Amino acid sequence: MNRFMQKSKTFFSRSILKDTFNRDILTLLIVSIVIGSILASALAMSANAYFSSTLNNLVGDYGEYDLVLQVREEMKDDASAQVQKIINDAFPGGRMKLGPTITGKTNIFVALPHEYKTKQVYETLDKTFGGIPGGASVGVVTEPRLTIRGVPDGAKNMLMDKVMTIDGVGFVFRDGSSIGVILTSLDKTTAVNKQIEELLKEYQIMEISFPVGSEPSNPIRMGEAIASDMKSQLNLDYVENVSIDGQNDDMTHLVSTMMELKRFLSAYASQIVIAPANGAELQKGDVVVFQGQAAQAPIAGNPVDKGNVVVQITGLRPDGAGEGVITQGDTTGLTSNQGFKLEKNVVAAFVGTASYHNPRQELSGALNETTKLVGEIPGFAQDTKKVSDIALNALNNYDSSVSAVEKTVNSIQAASDGIQAATNGLARIDTTSMQYQIANSSRAIGGLMNTMQVVGLVGGDTAGTVTNLGDTQRNLDGLQSNLVALNDVAANARSANSAIDTIVANGSSTVATLKAFDAAGARNSLTSATAKLGQVQQLNVPLITTQLQYLATAAPNLKDEEISHSVQIMDKFIAGQVIPGERIQILTKRNISSDAVAPIVYQQVGHQNVSLYAADLGVIEPNARGELYQILKEVQAILAAMMAIIATILFLALDHSAIMTVIRRRRLVSKVKVTGWRGLLARIAITFTAPERQYGMAIGAVMLTAMFVISGAGIPYLPWLGVPFLGALLGLIVANYAEKISPISAEEVTAGEALGLSFDEVMREIVVPNARPGLLQKLNRRKLKFK
Amino acid sequence: MLSIKNLSKQFGQVLAINDLDLHVGHGETVALMGPSGCGKSTTIRTINRLIEPDKGSIQFDGVDILQLMPDQLRAMRKKIGFVFQHFNLVDRLTAVENVMLGLVMGGLDKEQAYDKALEAMTKVGLESYHSHKPSEMSGGQQQRVGIARALALNPDLMLWDEPTASLDPILVREVLVVMEELAKYRQSAMLVVTHEISFALRVADRIVLMDKGKVVEEGKPSDVFVKPQSEVGRQYKELIEYQMNTSALTLAGKKIA
Repeated sequence: MNRFMQKSKTFFSRSILKDTFNRDILTLLIVSIVIGSILASALAMSANAYFSSTLNNLVGDYGEYDLVLQVREEMKDDASAQVQKIINDAFPGGRMKLGPTITGKTNIFVALPHEYKTKQVYETLDKTFGGIPGGASVGVVTEPRLTIRGVPDGAKNMLMDKVMTIDGVGFVFRDGSSIGVILTSLDKTTAVNKQIEELLKEYQIMEISFPVGSEPSNPIRMGEAIASDMKSQLNLDYVENVSIDGQNDDMTHLVSTMMELKRFLSAYASQIVIAPANGAELQKGDVVVFQGQAAQAPIAGNPVDKGNVVVQITGLRPDGAGEGVITQGDTTGLTSNQGFKLEKNVVAAFVGTASYHNPRQELSGALNETTKLVGEIPGFAQDTKKVSDIALNALNNYDSSVSAVEKTVNSIQAASDGIQAATNGLARIDTTSMQYQIANSSRAIGGLMNTMQVVGLVGGDTAGTVTNLGDTQRNLDGLQSNLVALNDVAANARSANSAIDTIVANGSSTVATLKAFDAAGARNSLTSATAKLGQVQQLNVPLITTQLQYLATAAPNLKDEEISHSVQIMDKFIAGQVIPGERIQILTKRNISSDAVAPIVYQQVGHQNVSLYAADLGVIEPNARGELYQILKEVQAILAAMMAIIATILFLALDHSAIMTVIRRRRLVSKVKVTGWRGLLARIAITFTAPERQYGMAIGAVMLTAMFVISGAGIPYLPWLGVPFLGALLGLIVANYAEKISPISAEEVTAGEALGLSFDEVMREIVVPNARPGLLQKLNRRKLKFK
Repeated sequence: MLSIKNLSKQFGQVLAINDLDLHVGHGETVALMGPSGCGKSTTIRTINRLIEPDKGSIQFDGVDILQLMPDQLRAMRKKIGFVFQHFNLVDRLTAVENVMLGLVMGGLDKEQAYDKALEAMTKVGLESYHSHKPSEMSGGQQQRVGIARALALNPDLMLWDEPTASLDPILVREVLVVMEELAKYRQSAMLVVTHEISFALRVADRIVLMDKGKVVEEGKPSDVFVKPQSEVGRQYKELIEYQMNTSALTLAGKKIA
């Protein structure tokens, strides 16, 4: 580094401070740069002045006017008179100028007094100048201003409020689809521009686009739902659905209502399903004709009859069946389900059979049934109340009834004990053995009787005995019978005892259950129910009936064709409004990615067939005049660049080519020629290392760069770093052709050297005077010994 | 005065000077001769470093010219006059300005330079052509201006690089006459590259014959051309004999001289 510095110092002291040819070259370079820069600047400024003057003639001086109205040329007199009248009435102190006519349109410039430069005035310009004849369009040309474009309508208010708070902003207004920002002074432009850019960078628009056929029925509500979910699920501070223009509430509501109405009508439109016939295929958009009320079925080749029912296919099911809506006629007129395709407005082949579902009929039926039901309500309520009263009465006696039952059960229990005690003895009697003994005794008495009878026959007086025996036997038989009866009584006593035990057990359980029942609660409920039944009885059933009947009549009493046409008309209306059905826009801060929002969107939409991307809130654009001036500045820079390039080429060719030639000659004399591959390499290397080329590149780079800097030149798409490279390239090219551009006499140079002339003297006395006439020659003249 | 030793110069594959030794004494006129391309002009141009040799040494008045710095070299060149084959006059200058050029650049004021230049031009018989531009003069006159330019510097050594080679035979004579006159009354040494055998025979103190970049023979003209030791010398002898035999010219079979 020190060595380089030392060399530079030496070169400077020897070559620059002294009167050397190097100093001549430096002088030449400086003068060339100055002249080139002056030329470039002069050309650029002349062009700029010319174009600026032309522009100012067209649109007035910068900031002189605020509005420009364009009217048809033939109406300009009437229009200007009208404009003057409006100025006098609405903007006293304002002035007007009739501008040039371009392509049949005459410009009228209007300058507004300062007090009328307000948001309110600017946003109502269309109304103010709406009556100007000649189809006037109003443009704002107030300066200084900035324009923000691309801001969704729904986000404009928020942005305008924030921009309004920036220092240097006079006011903000809606300018068509853009936001106009009028500044208080020109020097605030950069600062305001920067702050608005920062503001725009702070926010982003999450835009959800729906493909055709997948549009939500009400994007406004869906947008609000998505925004709400984003706020809650992603814990965001600021989320707003800006799919709509918050400024235009009436229109928003109207469109929203239209959307709901469309959905309502669509819900009650008959849904036709056409099962395609064998070999037939249905496509979305196909039109199918049914006989309807026509006298005969559609005939191939005939046009559609007025009585025919016409269905347009709006969708296809996976099985190939087509879903459609009726565009002519009504489902009630579908007398035949045989459908024929309509091709080129004439009936074609049989295409399938139709089935349909008419929600309007179903609604009507449901309403009729409901009306009937409502008619039965008063009687039903009365009966129910009676039952309720009875039940309530029963419940009121419930406790005493339960006590009575308990007492009864206790009595039964006591009775059971008595019976048990009474029957216990009987139960223990062995009547069987007694019966057996009595039977044996009876049989013995019988035998004795027989015997006594025989004895009697034999002679004995046995009759009394036999009678006694007979009585005894009868008594015994009677006793046996009694024993049997006694045995039954004992069995019955045991059975009765058991039954009583069961009764008592059941009774106790029942009593327990009865006691567990919340009779008081039931009473309260029943009391409440009774009261409500009373209210039901108070219902104005006739009114309900009337309303139901009204509802039945209020349901869309439209033919299907009328519904279809209405939906089409509503579609056209909605599509023409600011709320695009296929797009939802959510305004958020920048700190959330679309990936994070996607799941919420998919969940709300119900499918993933949407496009979701994040976009800038808006961009700042220079105004039209600013753009023109910007273009003029670019043209100025380009012209300056062209001039600088031309000047560089000229200076290189006229002045420096002779120097390059001398340097080249000296190189060729001192260098030893090589051949073969070394020669090839040498030639390649020498392209950039040859001293005359290095000289050319250095001079070209310095000269062009300096001229660019001084004259403010520039070339679109050429970065500043490219300028010295371009200059070096020009120098290289000139160096390559230096000897052809500026041939010098080698003999003269050799003679000079042989005479002991220095390089400087050779250059000044021999080379330069013989070179191409240029600046160097002019500068060299003062150094010439032999002029 | 001038002593060249081991001088070599190569152009690409061509060895123009090959280890050459040469000496020129004070006031001596040396004719450097040889076939075309043998390295005569290259040799004479290396003496004042119009061509830089590859190696060797050139001593002039005890100073090694090859070791001189640019400033010293320029001073040295003023002591060595050079007459070119193609005159090498500066076209834009008049004859006298061409002669003055070296003087003025050497530091002389213009008036003195003019006087000296005019004096030099008088020596070559061109005093009346002082204001002519080279383009207005014949080749012989131009060469005489070139000679005057070299003479004006009053050099210690005059180098002549085939001064008549570009001239037609009639103009050659006027130049040779000037050269012979200069040689007669010279105070400086002369090294003359020439093909003019008669001039060499009449004027040169010594003849040096070169071939293929080397000195092949040198000596007094009578020795070199009468008893040549080299092939080139023999060729020159044959040429001289041929020219002597044909010196009596005939025209239509009749001897006219």
